Amino acid sequence: MDFATVELTAEQQAFQQEVRALLDEVMTEEVHDHERTTGDGFHEGVHLALGARGWLFPEWPVEDGGAGLDQVSARVLALELARYRVPYVTSGTTAGVWPSVEQYGDPQLVAELKPEVAAGRVRFCLGYSDPESGSDIAAAHLRAVRDGAEWVLNGSKMWTTGAHNCQYTFLITRTDPEAPKHKGLTMFLVPLQSPGVEIQAIRTYGDERTNAVFYDDVHVSDRNRLGEVNGGWAVLRGPLDEEHGAGRGDGLDDVTMGIGYTRVFQRAIDAAARWAKRATRPDGTHVADDPVFLDRLGRLVVETEAAAVTPDPMGRTKASLSYIAGIAELIDLVGPEALLAHGADGAIEGGTLDHAHRFAQGTATYGGTTDVFKNMIAQHVLGLPRLRLPGDKALVR
Amino acid sequence: MERFELRRQDFRLDEDQQAVREGFGDFFTKQVPSSLVRDAEPLGFDADLWQRVVAMGATSMALPEAVGGDDATLVDLVLVAEELGRVVAPVPLISHVVASRLLARVGGADELVAAAAEGERIVTLALQPVVGTNRQLVPDAAVARDVLAWTDEGLVLHTLAEPAAHVPNQGSTPLAWFDPAAGERTVLATGPEAAAACRAAYAEWKLLTAAALVGIAQSALDLGVEFAKTRRTLGVAIGSLQGVAFPLADVVTEIAGARNLVQKAAWYATHEPASRPELPLAAFVHAAHAATEAAWVSAHTQGGLGFTVEADISLFFLRAKGWSVLGGDPGQDRRQVAAALLATV
Repeated sequence: MDFATVELTAEQQAFQQEVRALLDEVMTEEVHDHERTTGDGFHEGVHLALGARGWLFPEWPVEDGGAGLDQVSARVLALELARYRVPYVTSGTTAGVWPSVEQYGDPQLVAELKPEVAAGRVRFCLGYSDPESGSDIAAAHLRAVRDGAEWVLNGSKMWTTGAHNCQYTFLITRTDPEAPKHKGLTMFLVPLQSPGVEIQAIRTYGDERTNAVFYDDVHVSDRNRLGEVNGGWAVLRGPLDEEHGAGRGDGLDDVTMGIGYTRVFQRAIDAAARWAKRATRPDGTHVADDPVFLDRLGRLVVETEAAAVTPDPMGRTKASLSYIAGIAELIDLVGPEALLAHGADGAIEGGTLDHAHRFAQGTATYGGTTDVFKNMIAQHVLGLPRLRLPGDKALVR
Repeated sequence: MERFELRRQDFRLDEDQQAVREGFGDFFTKQVPSSLVRDAEPLGFDADLWQRVVAMGATSMALPEAVGGDDATLVDLVLVAEELGRVVAPVPLISHVVASRLLARVGGADELVAAAAEGERIVTLALQPVVGTNRQLVPDAAVARDVLAWTDEGLVLHTLAEPAAHVPNQGSTPLAWFDPAAGERTVLATGPEAAAACRAAYAEWKLLTAAALVGIAQSALDLGVEFAKTRRTLGVAIGSLQGVAFPLADVVTEIAGARNLVQKAAWYATHEPASRPELPLAAFVHAAHAATEAAWVSAHTQGGLGFTVEADISLFFLRAKGWSVLGGDPGQDRRQVAAALLATV
């Protein structure tokens, strides 16, 4: 057991300074404004700046476009990216998809894409959820039909966040509607500039933009197929398992994939705590001296401490559900000032609480809903029997 | 607060720690069947079991080598306490260990420390500072002749001719009223250092109790899960129904977080006590909640059977609250956790 501060070598300290210097330079107020107004989870200038240093795939060798970082330096980088609130959605989906591309893709395609992905010029998004099936990814209906050396795609996907900033989508398609549910799926890396692809923005009240992507007779080369025909489930599981988090056990990884949610909540809690130190009640008493305020705030702090150390898959649900419940309570603790928008007269720390409250709701859905994860916990952690349902193995509407 | 500090978060137990957990886990599982727990009611003390716990080294391991102990860390002790909680062992180990460590720290009672290490004398401590002549309920005081208490004069050892009278209570613990005027009084230490040692002891008590509550919660959960796997309704195991499974999934989530928070707090208390002094309190708050949640959910999973005296879940339901409440209102701890945050933002 070890929670000690990691002592950095001189080289690692210099690296930390280098990271901070670059992020001081590129993470301007304009970038935060861009994120607030677009909700993209991506900023091209920042992404390319990171790519130019090999920091999008920091542990890759330098000759592959990475930075050849040791694990400690990689952790230094990850913490600084979080501290500076560098947009992470598209860099995350790109990094998550790459292992499947490398393992299952046409070798020549892989060789072409690798330096581009590392430099940040090529980016991937996730074409997972059909409009009617949400987290039940294996229920995909989007059809792919072979036509000589090509495939023709028809259908649509929801929640393809970042599609408008990406070159390819990692798409799950139905290639054999007669086969059992998981055995008629094939994965493709589909160029998003292909004719017939239409990207429509979807806005969330968490200030994010995601997309619906429509595929109308889209032709894609067989070269862009990943893995076997009808063998797509195995190809997809790679990044899914990555998304669902598996630590290396050296104590340098986050305990939970939900840590990002907890960090947003902690940022709001810290803002509320600073507010409490300067605010007074109408009767002139200090908020920070109010034992009821402290009791209720303390409960939220304990929840974040617990969430941050709850291991996956439990940690994913804990981070989200404690945040959703807790931020609503935090808003009550502060009052109407908490919900003033960014830029409004009296907004607390640029509307941090307002945003955190709106952002919370989506966290229960990203990467598979909390309910999907509760099923996993029930079956794989508790060993409870699985309820047999008509759609387990068969494709049913 | 520095939220992005580069620290390890390594929860893996080393070989020695694993040996402690397995050794005490085997010991408690074998020595403490639920019938023994029931037979020890309502006092909540089994003298034979206490002798065996002492023989296992549980009372001496926690003390510094200088006074004949093994210098076990709080990380070791929370592992022991969790195993104790799993079987709700009717022994006053937590209070005794915390009080004897406090005695060893302040010094001046060498004979008593030696006797405590051998388990010959049981020591406990009042968890609230003494105010005037007000009496207070003190855990395990019904089996301890030696009670430590913080008073206006400093840290005082009260040595009584006989332990105080037991007061029957929901958690079947050896609870008793402590009268600050009772017994032979020895002032052991005064001043801010002694006061800090006393506060650290309160935090240690809460940390070890938090660990025991994690054990209680885990055993409660296990009983509920076992029932949910075997009990059938409408042709399926009830545990396959999300209405039954999800509350159990929520409980294991709370327990996993509480266990890790307890161990993290124990590591800090051992290696960097000044860095995060509020963590034991946070761990206590979370573990108390997890245990209460686990106990009622598990009892409810078992339906009417879970509400019967003969169901073992009753032992855990009654102690989840009955043990945690001895530490007072967690609201007090929550306020301290919040105050610690306010001091750093």
